[in-house]
Amino acid sequence: MSGRRLVISCLLALALFAVAGQAVAQPCLIFVHGKQTNTNTYTSYSSARNYWVNGSADFVRTATKSFATSYYVVGYNGTRPYWESQSAGEVANEIVNATNGGADGGGKRCARTYANGGTFWVIAHSMGGAVMDYILGNNDASDPNFNANGPYDQVAARLSMVITTGGAHRGSQGADAVCLQANPLCSFIAIFIQSCDDATYWLRSSDDVQVKTYSNAPAKTIYLTGGYEAIFGASACLNGEDDGVVQYASIFACNGSATASYDNSNVCGNSSKQESSGFRNLDAAHENHSDERDDSDSDVRKQVPGGIWTCNGVPCAANTTVQSSMTTARFISILY
Amino acid sequence: MFENLKRPVVSSLTLLALAAVPAASQQLPRPGELALQTAREYREQARYPESSHVLKAGEADPVRAKRTPTKQSRRGPEGAGPELSVWASAVSVEVGKPIDLFAEILTGGKPVLPLELSAEIAGPAGEIVAQVVYRDDGRTPDRRANDGVWSARLTLPAGLEPEGAEAYMVRATARLLDGDLRQAAGGFLYSNPSARLTGRYRDAVRNGNLVISAEVEVREAGRFHLSGTLYSRAGEPIGTAQAAAHLEPGRQWIKLPFYGLMFHDRKVAGPYRLGTVALATAGRMPNALNDLIENAYVTKGYKLGVMTALPFAEPKLLESASRLEAEAVRSQVAQ
Repeated sequence: MSGRRLVISCLLALALFAVAGQAVAQPCLIFVHGKQTNTNTYTSYSSARNYWVNGSADFVRTATKSFATSYYVVGYNGTRPYWESQSAGEVANEIVNATNGGADGGGKRCARTYANGGTFWVIAHSMGGAVMDYILGNNDASDPNFNANGPYDQVAARLSMVITTGGAHRGSQGADAVCLQANPLCSFIAIFIQSCDDATYWLRSSDDVQVKTYSNAPAKTIYLTGGYEAIFGASACLNGEDDGVVQYASIFACNGSATASYDNSNVCGNSSKQESSGFRNLDAAHENHSDERDDSDSDVRKQVPGGIWTCNGVPCAANTTVQSSMTTARFISILY
Repeated sequence: MFENLKRPVVSSLTLLALAAVPAASQQLPRPGELALQTAREYREQARYPESSHVLKAGEADPVRAKRTPTKQSRRGPEGAGPELSVWASAVSVEVGKPIDLFAEILTGGKPVLPLELSAEIAGPAGEIVAQVVYRDDGRTPDRRANDGVWSARLTLPAGLEPEGAEAYMVRATARLLDGDLRQAAGGFLYSNPSARLTGRYRDAVRNGNLVISAEVEVREAGRFHLSGTLYSRAGEPIGTAQAAAHLEPGRQWIKLPFYGLMFHDRKVAGPYRLGTVALATAGRMPNALNDLIENAYVTKGYKLGVMTALPFAEPKLLESASRLEAEAVRSQVAQ
């Protein structure tokens, strides 16, 4: 081997070592999608993976720093209520598989297992938020729906944290509108809540279907971020700021009415959540419900009450513009 | 298995590593900062078991909060006022009992007079099982005439008793004087629980924890969940606890252990009042919820000294905290 080839080989080896080392050093990211109108993400890995893609934009690629961090993509039946075996049960089983070093449907696996000291963050979008609330709020033998249809206790023990983006923690007023079958101006035709199917029925704003009624405070912290870019037609049916599908009261897991009007200045802080602990604000982005999970809109980010951003060493004031152009995927990538 | 993760020295190294990063005026969160913040919280939470924890002074009773109905509000097309809000008198009603439904139409916080206000009650399959007309005439269940809160009382017809519970949707429609419509969707749970609290309680201190036992009469074997909040004599919520158990038919007891440290944290000696207690038949979704019981029981007097002052040291949380602290160090080193 010539000297030049040897140098190149060494450099390549070093580069590979660096990338591999980074993957081992960092948390494995586990992606949990949102509501669906068909079972494709449950039956087809490519559908589950493409949930996070829009053209050349790829949320998973950006959040994992161009795949330097290992990841696992979950696919579940997003047409079923958040608490069912094909939703919460499937998600729980897949998360445990990921932490055991098992591969997702595309052959991707976490670089380090839980037994070998790995750490795991779940990134959940939309209804994926309610699914994670249910799992982490029913992980203890004293919880009402302990291990109802999956190993919730193992999930809770092994996850380090959850980040939800546009999480439907308190349902969606869009679901109310669709299930009312009344106002044609509330157009959710192009979105994931086209009809009042079983999943949509359980995403309404009333207390009898809310995940908080059937679970406790999450065993691991659920961090909250979401968008405030309206979707024409749909946003007219949502109170306060919203991402076109989910209103702020739900994205930020507020206590009280799920239909209360909030904005970046007054959305509920960390002591006014749907549970007495376990939910914390990160920030808000000028993204709509799709942008939040497909990395296609690098836009303004704003501080919210109790959010993560600091200005000159102290928490930024709510509604401060903290970034002029940053996607949620990129935001997540700077957190680890 | 990575015992080094558990060594306290990791925490110190983490803090040193993060302290080495110059404090800057830029706003980007530092890599590892979130992991470290989360670890701190887990170490604090680990002082209590997951089944029982202290409530901070002024914190709301979580058992009551879960059974307190909220309003669901919707505006008109393009966000136009007025806004119609609906709510029920309870999150859940037991079979055979009536539930009161309420509605209001507001513009700028002031009531608007509708021409009529009614609702359809729909089951999960969309079937209409009942209809109601709201009134604001001061006659029961309406509390005050012309106050802008419209009321209706609903008793679901016989034959709809669920095996466990069923979620019903309230589709309310207000016809305004100008002919416009406003619609809002609310709901309630129709519950047929398999057990009920008999009203008998007893209390004792076991291993430094206050254990309140509640007697339940079980109609059908199943899994039951009990939660309760303890109040001080001054009426402040102190802490909360929950338990679940599989019970056979007949009279049975469920033990609700309140972790002793909460009494030290709040510096409150007994007697204590079980201010709220909620029973549910779990094991299937939706759970069947019994009505919330308030002021259920007052315990014997206890001195603080009989309660444990030791942190619980929840192992799952401490393990997670250790791993997050190590992760924070790695994130810093990788930068």
